[in-house]
Amino acid sequence: MGLTHQLELFPECSVALLLFRHVRNAAALRKMAMEGSVEGALINPAMIVDPFQILVAANKAVHLHKIGKMKTRTLYAEIIFSLSPNNNISDAFKKFGISDSDTAVLIVLVMNREKTVNLEDIASQVEGQQVSLDELPHLTDTAKVKKMYKVTPQEEKIGTLLDSVVCRMSTKDVL
Amino acid sequence: SVAKLRIPKRYRHPALEERLSRRRMAQEARSLLRCRRAGISAPVVYFVDYVTNSIYLEDIVDSITVQDHINAVQRSGNDTSSLLVLAEKMGELLARMHDEDIIHGDLTTSNILLRPPTEKLDLVLIDFGLSFISGLPEDKGVDLYVLEKAFLSTHPDTEMMFKALLKTYAATSKKSGPVIKRLDEVRLRGRKRSMIG
Repeated sequence: MGLTHQLELFPECSVALLLFRHVRNAAALRKMAMEGSVEGALINPAMIVDPFQILVAANKAVHLHKIGKMKTRTLYAEIIFSLSPNNNISDAFKKFGISDSDTAVLIVLVMNREKTVNLEDIASQVEGQQVSLDELPHLTDTAKVKKMYKVTPQEEKIGTLLDSVVCRMSTKDVL
Repeated sequence: SVAKLRIPKRYRHPALEERLSRRRMAQEARSLLRCRRAGISAPVVYFVDYVTNSIYLEDIVDSITVQDHINAVQRSGNDTSSLLVLAEKMGELLARMHDEDIIHGDLTTSNILLRPPTEKLDLVLIDFGLSFISGLPEDKGVDLYVLEKAFLSTHPDTEMMFKALLKTYAATSKKSGPVIKRLDEVRLRGRKRSMIG
Protein backbone atom coordinates (compact mmCIF):
# COMPACT_ATOMS: atom_id res chain seq x y z
CA MET A 1 0.00 0.00 0.00
CA GLY A 2 1.78 3.09 -1.12
CA LEU A 3 5.50 3.20 -0.51
CA THR A 4 7.23 2.42 2.77
CA HIS A 5 10.87 3.19 3.35
CA GLN A 6 13.05 2.66 6.38
CA LEU A 7 15.14 5.63 7.44
CA GLU A 8 18.82 4.80 7.08
CA LEU A 9 19.90 6.82 10.07
CA PHE A 10 16.94 5.85 12.23
CA PRO A 11 16.27 2.23 11.34
CA GLU A 12 13.50 1.91 13.92
CA CYS A 13 11.49 4.43 11.88
CA SER A 14 9.70 3.72 8.64
CA VAL A 15 8.17 6.36 6.44
CA ALA A 16 5.02 5.52 4.48
CA LEU A 17 3.87 7.58 1.52
CA LEU A 18 0.28 7.37 0.29
CA LEU A 19 -0.71 9.20 -2.87
CA PHE A 20 -4.28 10.08 -3.80
CA ARG A 21 -5.78 11.63 -6.93
CA HIS A 22 -9.27 12.92 -7.76
CA VAL A 23 -9.65 13.92 -4.13
CA ARG A 24 -13.01 15.50 -3.35
CA ASN A 25 -12.68 16.30 0.34
CA ALA A 26 -9.42 18.26 0.53
CA ALA A 27 -11.08 21.00 2.59
CA ALA A 28 -12.39 18.50 5.14
CA LEU A 29 -9.04 16.74 5.28
CA ARG A 30 -7.24 19.99 5.87
CA LYS A 31 -9.60 20.81 8.71
CA MET A 32 -9.09 17.37 10.20
CA ALA A 33 -5.33 17.75 9.93
CA MET A 34 -5.44 21.07 11.76
CA GLU A 35 -7.62 19.57 14.48
CA GLY A 36 -5.28 16.63 14.74
CA SER A 37 -7.91 14.04 13.89
CA VAL A 38 -6.07 12.61 10.95
CA GLU A 39 -2.71 10.95 11.31
CA GLY A 40 0.06 12.01 9.00
CA ALA A 41 1.45 15.01 7.13
CA LEU A 42 -0.85 16.12 4.32
CA ILE A 43 1.30 17.42 1.54
CA ASN A 44 0.66 19.02 -1.83
CA PRO A 45 2.22 16.59 -4.35
CA ALA A 46 2.79 19.38 -6.88
CA MET A 47 5.74 20.54 -4.78
CA ILE A 48 7.33 17.11 -4.53
CA VAL A 49 9.74 15.90 -7.22
CA ASP A 50 10.65 12.53 -5.78
CA PRO A 51 9.94 10.41 -2.67
CA PHE A 52 13.56 11.00 -1.63
CA GLN A 53 12.65 14.63 -0.99
CA ILE A 54 10.12 13.42 1.59
CA LEU A 55 12.67 11.06 3.14
CA VAL A 56 15.16 13.88 3.59
CA ALA A 57 12.48 16.01 5.26
CA ALA A 58 11.34 13.12 7.45
CA ASN A 59 14.92 12.30 8.42
CA LYS A 60 15.54 15.84 9.54
CA ALA A 61 12.22 16.01 11.39
CA VAL A 62 12.85 12.73 13.24
CA HIS A 63 16.39 13.85 14.13
CA LEU A 64 15.16 17.17 15.54
CA HIS A 65 12.30 15.44 17.34
CA LYS A 66 14.76 13.09 19.05
CA ILE A 67 16.94 15.90 20.31
CA GLY A 68 13.97 18.07 21.23
CA LYS A 69 14.91 20.82 18.80
CA MET A 70 11.90 20.89 16.46
CA LYS A 71 10.81 24.30 15.30
CA THR A 72 7.16 23.27 15.06
CA ARG A 73 4.85 21.52 17.52
CA THR A 74 4.44 18.08 15.97
CA LEU A 75 6.54 15.67 13.98
CA TYR A 76 4.23 15.94 11.00
CA ALA A 77 4.28 19.72 11.06
CA GLU A 78 8.06 19.51 11.21
CA ILE A 79 8.16 17.34 8.10
CA ILE A 80 6.20 19.95 6.19
CA PHE A 81 8.44 22.69 7.57
CA SER A 82 11.58 20.75 6.60
CA LEU A 83 10.44 20.70 2.99
CA SER A 84 10.60 24.47 2.83
CA PRO A 85 13.78 26.20 1.64
CA ASN A 86 13.18 29.02 4.12
CA ASN A 87 12.52 29.36 7.81
CA ASN A 88 9.01 30.74 7.68
CA ILE A 89 6.67 28.17 9.20
CA SER A 90 3.35 29.55 8.00
CA ASP A 91 4.72 29.96 4.50
CA ALA A 92 5.80 26.33 4.56
CA PHE A 93 2.29 25.23 5.43
CA LYS A 94 0.79 27.40 2.75
CA LYS A 95 3.09 26.18 0.02
CA PHE A 96 3.65 22.55 0.98
CA GLY A 97 0.51 21.71 2.88
CA ILE A 98 -2.75 21.03 1.11
CA SER A 99 -5.30 23.69 0.28
CA ASP A 100 -9.05 23.36 0.07
CA SER A 101 -9.13 23.24 -3.72
CA ASP A 102 -6.48 20.55 -4.14
CA THR A 103 -7.46 17.36 -5.96
CA ALA A 104 -4.30 15.44 -5.17
CA VAL A 105 -2.92 14.69 -1.73
CA LEU A 106 0.24 13.01 -0.52
CA ILE A 107 0.00 11.60 3.00
CA VAL A 108 3.26 10.94 4.83
CA LEU A 109 3.35 8.77 7.94
CA VAL A 110 6.18 7.89 10.28
CA MET A 111 5.92 4.54 11.98
CA ASN A 112 8.09 2.97 14.59
CA ARG A 113 8.06 -0.12 16.76
CA GLU A 114 5.96 1.42 19.53
CA LYS A 115 3.45 3.07 17.29
CA THR A 116 1.44 0.99 14.87
CA VAL A 117 -0.39 2.89 12.20
CA ASN A 118 -3.26 1.48 10.23
CA LEU A 119 -2.72 2.68 6.70
CA GLU A 120 -6.12 1.47 5.53
CA ASP A 121 -7.89 3.50 8.17
CA ILE A 122 -6.16 6.65 7.06
CA ALA A 123 -6.73 5.91 3.40
CA SER A 124 -10.43 5.43 4.05
CA GLN A 125 -10.69 9.00 5.30
CA VAL A 126 -9.71 10.28 1.87
CA GLU A 127 -12.50 10.62 -0.69
CA GLY A 128 -10.37 9.90 -3.68
CA GLN A 129 -8.44 7.27 -5.55
CA GLN A 130 -5.24 5.92 -4.09
CA VAL A 131 -2.58 5.59 -6.75
CA SER A 132 0.99 4.33 -6.99
CA LEU A 133 3.87 6.67 -6.16
CA ASP A 134 4.95 6.16 -9.77
CA GLU A 135 2.35 8.77 -10.68
CA LEU A 136 4.04 11.41 -8.57
CA PRO A 137 6.14 12.84 -11.44
CA HIS A 138 2.89 13.53 -13.36
CA LEU A 139 1.67 15.62 -10.47
CA THR A 140 4.83 17.65 -9.93
CA ASP A 141 4.66 21.28 -10.97
CA THR A 142 8.29 21.65 -12.01
CA ALA A 143 8.05 25.35 -12.69
CA LYS A 144 6.55 26.02 -9.29
CA VAL A 145 9.21 23.91 -7.58
CA LYS A 146 12.02 25.74 -9.38
CA LYS A 147 10.54 29.06 -8.37
CA MET A 148 9.98 28.06 -4.76
CA TYR A 149 13.48 26.69 -4.30
CA LYS A 150 15.04 29.41 -6.46
CA VAL A 151 16.92 26.96 -8.61
CA THR A 152 19.45 28.65 -10.89
CA PRO A 153 19.89 27.71 -14.56
CA GLN A 154 23.60 26.90 -13.98
CA GLU A 155 22.63 24.53 -11.24
CA GLU A 156 20.35 22.56 -13.53
CA LYS A 157 23.37 21.70 -15.65
CA ILE A 158 25.26 19.96 -12.88
CA GLY A 159 22.51 17.96 -11.30
CA THR A 160 18.86 17.03 -11.12
CA LEU A 161 16.08 19.19 -9.75
CA LEU A 162 15.96 16.80 -6.80
CA ASP A 163 19.63 17.58 -6.07
CA SER A 164 18.93 21.31 -5.95
CA VAL A 165 15.87 20.84 -3.77
CA VAL A 166 17.55 18.53 -1.26
CA CYS A 167 20.60 20.77 -0.99
CA ARG A 168 18.50 23.74 -0.01
CA MET A 169 16.39 21.75 2.42
CA SER A 170 19.42 20.46 4.25
CA THR A 171 21.40 23.70 4.42
CA LYS A 172 18.68 26.20 5.15
CA ASP A 173 19.56 26.56 8.80
CA VAL A 174 23.33 26.55 8.49
CA LEU A 175 24.67 29.69 10.03
CA SER B 1 25.56 8.82 0.73
CA VAL B 2 28.88 9.54 2.34
CA ALA B 3 28.93 10.49 5.99
CA LYS B 4 31.60 12.94 6.91
CA LEU B 5 32.21 12.69 10.59
CA ARG B 6 34.70 14.96 12.21
CA ILE B 7 37.01 12.89 14.35
CA PRO B 8 37.53 14.84 17.56
CA LYS B 9 41.11 15.89 17.89
CA ARG B 10 41.92 15.00 21.44
CA TYR B 11 44.85 17.32 21.61
CA ARG B 12 42.53 20.28 21.33
CA HIS B 13 40.78 21.96 24.19
CA PRO B 14 37.18 20.67 24.15
CA ALA B 15 35.55 24.07 23.86
CA LEU B 16 37.73 24.91 20.90
CA GLU B 17 37.16 21.49 19.38
CA GLU B 18 33.40 21.94 19.49
CA ARG B 19 33.52 25.41 17.98
CA LEU B 20 35.96 24.48 15.25
CA SER B 21 34.09 21.35 14.37
CA ARG B 22 30.84 23.27 14.13
CA ARG B 23 32.38 26.07 12.13
CA ARG B 24 34.12 23.78 9.65
CA MET B 25 30.95 21.83 9.07
CA ALA B 26 28.94 24.98 8.58
CA GLN B 27 31.53 26.39 6.19
CA GLU B 28 31.53 23.19 4.24
CA ALA B 29 27.74 23.14 3.93
CA ARG B 30 27.60 26.79 2.94
CA SER B 31 30.32 26.49 0.34
CA LEU B 32 28.80 23.39 -1.16
CA LEU B 33 25.47 25.12 -1.61
CA ARG B 34 27.15 28.22 -3.00
CA CYS B 35 29.10 26.12 -5.50
CA ARG B 36 26.02 24.28 -6.68
CA ARG B 37 23.99 27.44 -7.11
CA ALA B 38 26.74 28.77 -9.37
CA GLY B 39 26.81 25.54 -11.36
CA ILE B 40 30.14 24.39 -9.94
CA SER B 41 30.21 20.64 -9.48
CA ALA B 42 30.33 19.68 -5.81
CA PRO B 43 28.54 16.99 -3.77
CA VAL B 44 24.90 17.47 -2.79
CA VAL B 45 24.26 17.95 0.92
CA TYR B 46 21.66 15.50 2.22
CA PHE B 47 21.69 16.16 5.96
CA VAL B 48 23.54 18.28 8.47
CA ASP B 49 23.72 16.87 12.02
CA TYR B 50 24.49 19.63 14.48
CA VAL B 51 24.70 17.22 17.39
CA THR B 52 27.63 15.19 16.15
CA ASN B 53 28.83 17.89 13.74
CA SER B 54 28.65 15.49 10.85
CA ILE B 55 27.49 16.13 7.36
CA TYR B 56 25.96 13.60 4.97
CA LEU B 57 26.94 14.13 1.37
CA GLU B 58 26.31 12.66 -2.02
CA ASP B 59 28.56 9.73 -2.74
CA ILE B 60 30.21 10.27 -6.11
CA VAL B 61 30.08 6.61 -7.07
CA ASP B 62 33.07 5.03 -8.81
CA SER B 63 34.93 8.29 -8.91
CA ILE B 64 38.71 8.54 -8.67
CA THR B 65 40.76 11.43 -7.39
CA VAL B 66 42.69 13.53 -9.87
CA GLN B 67 45.72 12.46 -7.86
CA ASP B 68 45.16 8.78 -8.58
CA HIS B 69 44.38 9.55 -12.19
CA ILE B 70 47.58 11.50 -12.78
CA ASN B 71 49.58 8.75 -11.11
CA ALA B 72 47.92 6.10 -13.25
CA VAL B 73 48.52 7.98 -16.49
CA GLN B 74 52.12 8.68 -15.63
CA ARG B 75 52.79 5.11 -14.59
CA SER B 76 51.22 3.63 -17.68
CA GLY B 77 53.60 5.63 -19.82
CA ASN B 78 50.69 6.59 -22.03
CA ASP B 79 50.32 9.83 -23.87
CA THR B 80 50.35 12.52 -21.23
CA SER B 81 48.86 15.20 -23.43
CA SER B 82 45.49 14.22 -22.01
CA LEU B 83 46.83 15.53 -18.71
CA LEU B 84 47.18 18.96 -20.26
CA VAL B 85 43.50 18.91 -21.17
CA LEU B 86 42.73 17.85 -17.61
CA ALA B 87 44.81 20.76 -16.34
CA GLU B 88 42.83 23.15 -18.53
CA LYS B 89 39.56 21.81 -17.14
CA MET B 90 40.90 22.26 -13.62
CA GLY B 91 41.93 25.80 -14.38
CA GLU B 92 38.49 26.57 -15.73
CA LEU B 93 36.73 25.04 -12.71
CA LEU B 94 38.87 26.92 -10.22
CA ALA B 95 38.42 30.17 -12.10
CA ARG B 96 34.66 29.79 -11.88
CA MET B 97 34.90 28.94 -8.19
CA HIS B 98 37.05 31.98 -7.45
CA ASP B 99 34.76 34.19 -9.50
CA GLU B 100 32.06 33.24 -6.97
CA ASP B 101 34.48 34.36 -4.27
CA ILE B 102 34.70 30.85 -2.89
CA ILE B 103 38.12 30.04 -1.46
CA HIS B 104 38.57 26.28 -1.13
CA GLY B 105 41.29 26.45 1.49
CA ASP B 106 42.71 22.99 0.90
CA LEU B 107 43.26 22.56 -2.81
CA THR B 108 45.08 19.34 -3.61
CA THR B 109 44.71 16.79 -6.37
CA SER B 110 43.05 14.43 -3.92
CA ASN B 111 40.29 16.97 -3.33
CA ILE B 112 39.19 16.95 -6.93
CA LEU B 113 37.32 13.92 -8.19
CA LEU B 114 36.71 12.59 -11.68
CA ARG B 115 33.27 11.14 -12.29
CA PRO B 116 33.14 7.98 -14.38
CA PRO B 117 33.87 7.63 -17.25
CA THR B 118 37.25 9.23 -16.58
CA GLU B 119 37.77 10.29 -20.21
CA LYS B 120 34.91 12.77 -19.94
CA LEU B 121 37.00 14.79 -17.48
CA ASP B 122 33.89 15.59 -15.45
CA LEU B 123 35.40 17.16 -12.32
CA VAL B 124 33.86 17.44 -8.86
CA LEU B 125 35.33 19.55 -6.07
CA ILE B 126 35.20 18.09 -2.58
CA ASP B 127 36.30 18.74 0.98
CA PHE B 128 35.28 22.30 1.70
CA GLY B 129 35.91 22.11 5.43
CA LEU B 130 38.51 24.84 5.33
CA SER B 131 36.70 27.01 2.81
CA PHE B 132 35.54 30.58 3.23
CA ILE B 133 34.12 33.42 1.18
CA SER B 134 36.49 36.15 0.02
CA GLY B 135 36.91 38.47 -2.90
CA LEU B 136 40.53 39.28 -2.10
CA PRO B 137 43.12 38.42 -4.76
CA GLU B 138 45.47 37.52 -1.90
CA ASP B 139 43.18 34.72 -0.71
CA LYS B 140 42.65 33.44 -4.23
CA GLY B 141 46.36 33.63 -4.92
CA VAL B 142 47.13 31.65 -1.79
CA ASP B 143 44.47 29.11 -2.77
CA LEU B 144 46.28 28.55 -6.07
CA TYR B 145 49.66 28.52 -4.35
CA VAL B 146 48.53 25.74 -2.02
CA LEU B 147 47.47 23.74 -5.07
CA GLU B 148 50.74 24.44 -6.83
CA LYS B 149 52.80 23.22 -3.89
CA ALA B 150 50.62 20.14 -3.47
CA PHE B 151 50.73 19.47 -7.19
CA LEU B 152 54.45 19.73 -7.69
CA SER B 153 55.33 17.82 -4.55
CA THR B 154 52.92 14.96 -5.24
CA HIS B 155 53.35 14.69 -8.98
CA PRO B 156 56.83 14.91 -10.47
CA ASP B 157 57.29 16.52 -13.89
CA THR B 158 53.97 18.32 -13.90
CA GLU B 159 55.23 21.85 -14.30
CA MET B 160 53.72 22.06 -17.78
CA MET B 161 50.42 20.82 -16.42
CA PHE B 162 50.24 23.50 -13.80
CA LYS B 163 51.26 26.11 -16.33
CA ALA B 164 48.36 25.04 -18.55
CA LEU B 165 46.06 25.17 -15.53
CA LEU B 166 47.03 28.74 -14.76
CA LYS B 167 46.74 29.78 -18.37
CA THR B 168 43.16 28.57 -18.59
CA TYR B 169 42.42 30.04 -15.15
CA ALA B 170 43.59 33.43 -16.37
CA ALA B 171 41.58 33.10 -19.56
CA THR B 172 38.39 32.04 -17.76
CA SER B 173 38.34 34.38 -14.81
CA LYS B 174 37.68 38.03 -15.44
CA LYS B 175 39.28 38.90 -12.13
CA SER B 176 42.40 36.82 -12.65
CA GLY B 177 44.92 39.60 -13.25
CA PRO B 178 45.41 40.65 -9.64
CA VAL B 179 45.15 37.03 -8.52
CA ILE B 180 48.03 35.84 -10.69
CA LYS B 181 50.01 38.85 -9.58
CA ARG B 182 49.47 37.91 -5.95
CA LEU B 183 50.35 34.31 -6.73
CA ASP B 184 53.72 35.46 -8.06
CA GLU B 185 54.25 37.49 -4.92
CA VAL B 186 53.22 34.62 -2.64
CA ARG B 187 55.66 32.33 -4.42
CA LEU B 188 58.42 34.70 -3.48
CA ARG B 189 57.36 34.44 0.15
CA GLY B 190 57.84 30.70 0.45
CA ARG B 191 60.32 28.78 2.55
CA LYS B 192 63.95 29.75 2.18
CA ARG B 193 62.97 32.64 0.04
CA SER B 194 64.67 35.90 0.50
CA MET B 195 62.24 38.71 1.18
CA ILE B 196 64.79 41.33 0.36
CA GLY B 197 63.92 43.70 -2.46
